[in-house]
Amino acid sequence: MLPLQLGPGQFGDNTLYLLLFYLPFLLFLFYGQRIQAFMILGEVSRALGKLKIMREKSRKEVIDYLVNHLKPKSDPQEQVDQLLEYFTIMPVDLDPSGIVRKIEHVVTVRNDRIRSEIRRLAPETDLVKVSTAENILEAASSINYIYKLVRHFYLLGKRTSNIYILVQLQMIMPMILQEADALVNALEAFKLSQPIGDGIGPMVVGRMMLNHEKMDISKDTVMVKSEYKDRNLYLIKAVGPGGNVGEPGTAVERLISELGVKINSIIMIDAALKLEGEKTGEVAEGVGAAIGGIGVDRFKIEEVATKMNIPLYAVVIKQSLIDAISVMRKEIAEAAEKVTKIVYRLVEEKTQPNDNVLIVGVGNTLGVAQ
Amino acid sequence: MATMIPSIGEKRGKQIVYTIEECLGCGEKNKRTFTVGDYVFKQNGQCKKCSGNILITMIYAEPIKPTQ
Ligand SMILES: [Zn+2]
Repeated sequence: MLPLQLGPGQFGDNTLYLLLFYLPFLLFLFYGQRIQAFMILGEVSRALGKLKIMREKSRKEVIDYLVNHLKPKSDPQEQVDQLLEYFTIMPVDLDPSGIVRKIEHVVTVRNDRIRSEIRRLAPETDLVKVSTAENILEAASSINYIYKLVRHFYLLGKRTSNIYILVQLQMIMPMILQEADALVNALEAFKLSQPIGDGIGPMVVGRMMLNHEKMDISKDTVMVKSEYKDRNLYLIKAVGPGGNVGEPGTAVERLISELGVKINSIIMIDAALKLEGEKTGEVAEGVGAAIGGIGVDRFKIEEVATKMNIPLYAVVIKQSLIDAISVMRKEIAEAAEKVTKIVYRLVEEKTQPNDNVLIVGVGNTLGVAQ
Repeated sequence: MATMIPSIGEKRGKQIVYTIEECLGCGEKNKRTFTVGDYVFKQNGQCKKCSGNILITMIYAEPIKPTQ
């Protein structure tokens, strides 16, 4: 008999040893899943605890900002809790024709409502502070929603002892935590009105707008008419330095359809989410409507560009999600010069003298004037 | 797949936010820490050298470098 071979002989026929040896196997065989579930439950519950702390912190930030900057007459706590739970029901998509207009309508109503709620708290506050409060509130309600969703699946998995729900939750937890972390980071930038990574588009266009007369073209959006090498430039960005994204879609539509300006080319500048491994602040060129969000603005720009057969050029600045919503990184700020050069080069190469060129700086213009 | 999961990015450590001012007259640049009320393209006083207008051209964050 080999010395390492296991069997009764090795243990001197002692049944107790035998039992002790096989017990763990049996335990894992029959209760393995439960043990695993127990461990996953612990892990998810710790993550949920972290999310809860983030939620409390963000709620406090909202209240602090309102109390310190908007100086409301009454205690805003109750109203903040109400606004954090504010929901939007998206239009039904069973019959998708014309859905973009419906989405636009619902979103406009939502934004107006939130703005008016903040105004109601502090009637005589300036616009920059109101838009900052909106931004902070939006980040806080995102964190609130993430927390509630994770809590829902955690409790559901626990109550029904469903390991598959818990495993899925455990798998995506690191990403959820990172995203929540990014939102908490964003709060810091918002409350000090510092430019965020997403503001690079407005920053490039804002520089071109300096010392020119501005006109309102759509809600929270300004336009400037200037010239470059015999071309007429129409520059569009959201109104800064408040935290606005404006309505670039409506602005482009209005300029072309209502004001009847014949545009020969559209150049859009926006921040784009990078892939893992790409460098922050890298500039890339392409075609198409470079604009994120729910899709209303992109739809409008694509529609009018297609109808009028206007080429759409895009210049994007690569960054991660956390960079896009936190204080602008040096690499991104320094990319502005390169982007400006590319835009002017595009104007020279793709258009003729006397052409009308539309340049749109897309993004949240917090901390960036014009 | 790519559009669904973009890079969320690394966790940011402690950072200092700087304001970069530029004189429109002589082009002199000045880097200082951010103060509340600063925003990009704000006219911020006059240049000591040439009394040209000073403009804030950039506001950005840099990670705190570990002291050697
Ligand atoms: Zn000077």
